[in-house]
Amino acid sequence: MKGHQIQSKIISMEIEVLNAVRQRTLDQFTEGPSVKESRLFFLLLPFFSGKTWSPDIEASAKTVSIVYAALHAHDQIKEDAPIIKEQQLTVLAGDLYSGIYYQMLVNAKNISMVQQLASAIIKVSESKTSFFEEEFRTVEEIEKAITVIETELLMSFYTFYGYTEYAPLAKQALLYIRYAEELKRLQSKNYSHFLRELNTNLVHENYTKYWLTEKLDSLHEQILASIADCALDYELAQFLLHQITPHQHRAEQLTREG
Amino acid sequence: MEKMKLKLLYSDLKPELEMIEKELEQAVDSESLLLNDASLHLLQAGGKRIRPVFVLLAGKFGNYDIDVMKQVAVPLELIHMASLVHDDVIDDSEIRRGQPTVKAQWNNSVAMYTGDFILARALEHITKIESPRVHEILSKTLIEVCRGEIIQIQDKYRLDQNLRDYFRRIKRKTALLISSSCELGALVSGTDEKTAAHLRRFGYFIGMSFQIIDDILDFTSTDEELGKPAGSDFIQGNITLPILCARKDPELYAMLKANLNKGLSNEERFKVVEAIRNSSGIEEAKEMSERYLQKALRELSFLPKGQGVKTMRKIAFFIGKRKF
Repeated sequence: MKGHQIQSKIISMEIEVLNAVRQRTLDQFTEGPSVKESRLFFLLLPFFSGKTWSPDIEASAKTVSIVYAALHAHDQIKEDAPIIKEQQLTVLAGDLYSGIYYQMLVNAKNISMVQQLASAIIKVSESKTSFFEEEFRTVEEIEKAITVIETELLMSFYTFYGYTEYAPLAKQALLYIRYAEELKRLQSKNYSHFLRELNTNLVHENYTKYWLTEKLDSLHEQILASIADCALDYELAQFLLHQITPHQHRAEQLTREG
Repeated sequence: MEKMKLKLLYSDLKPELEMIEKELEQAVDSESLLLNDASLHLLQAGGKRIRPVFVLLAGKFGNYDIDVMKQVAVPLELIHMASLVHDDVIDDSEIRRGQPTVKAQWNNSVAMYTGDFILARALEHITKIESPRVHEILSKTLIEVCRGEIIQIQDKYRLDQNLRDYFRRIKRKTALLISSSCELGALVSGTDEKTAAHLRRFGYFIGMSFQIIDDILDFTSTDEELGKPAGSDFIQGNITLPILCARKDPELYAMLKANLNKGLSNEERFKVVEAIRNSSGIEEAKEMSERYLQKALRELSFLPKGQGVKTMRKIAFFIGKRKF
């Protein structure tokens, strides 16, 4: 499959997801559903790789994307915001998307997938809440929580349809994307709960920066190895490396800069 | 006193409701201590458990098996709880049922994740039931409830909205989930379609009556009785039936308009509450609630006579006359 065909399939899926959750008031007052290209890529990876695929599986993939959007909406709720329409509707957007994913799976007569996704949402909610617990956590525990947040929904999809061979690659890539975003946040001093906890744990912000860049390097290496393990064809691998997880070898650069 | 009366009405269902209560506690059990605490905090704040009660009562018209009934009763109460915890973020409410809300006790994020967690637990539970019809009804209800809340936000501070706007809103916000509780209880116990339809309509009418009374009590009860400041609906911009009925008095209309969407001091709040209390709005809203109550009772008259109908009738009367 050529790069432009991959891109085109991702865009068409994105449009279908956006259409499924469209609601006039929400479109007007909220930032709209978050449908990330990277997640769509991994949801469609078995299809791109020529694995067994069907309209039902594709419908399920869309619902996973909708659940990501639902949970993302609730991540946007601020602590210090007064009662404003945008915040109120963002809460409801998340709830509405949850109703929509449930209804879509019910219409597809796929109740087992509802159960599978509900269990994944429970784990994701537990991991998100863990950033508000007072207990001290090791870096490994923080990393475990962020892995669940980023990948659990996708993993439940892979497990349900027997696509687990892609799980290591997808985990590495989604973590890579998250760490790259966190590094950007750190550089602009826009601290997330994850960064705050990591900074406390690693004592100094510079160590956090170094930890993140090292992680990016190491994940990049792992992604290259996993691409080989999954025997992705050249075009697909190139798309992944250049469009989804472009790498800039930052740790090396940091070391050179001292 | 009122809570005692309600417990007496539920006395026929006492063992089953105790079982449901335990199941609810187990359902919110989590590996996260914080989620566990927040969910239990919400659960232990109490509540009338009207939805599980109606599931169980509707089940009495079919082949009642508590192990099956609880698979519907528990998720419906969980769905209600999840919506409450998110509603408190929407309304920035500090107190519910006299207790600090989850968002006040912890923060908005914890409240959001607690709601997501509880809703997911509800879906995890209900998927033990395979009937596609059950899921069709419930998923549609979930979506309609959200749409009702979106409309409520659109309609906020709109003193010129019409009665139809209000009824459309409370139908989605409250009546549908109670109606679905009755219908799902009937469905999983295998009642015939006609009985299930009467129960669904009973739930709908009683839900409408329940919400109107709730909106009246927001003005007629004290802060202590409500467990939150009286007049909260008005402060949050929710234009409810007592206001819509009272606004035809031009003086009152001007006063409401002047105080709408304005940070009210306690004194100003009491003045608004007092003005509504003394207006015709309360009596007119009570009449409307009574009409829905009568419609609900009429639906019961089509059902086979027995303990189920008796208890439903008592609960319906209680809802119509309740003071909290």
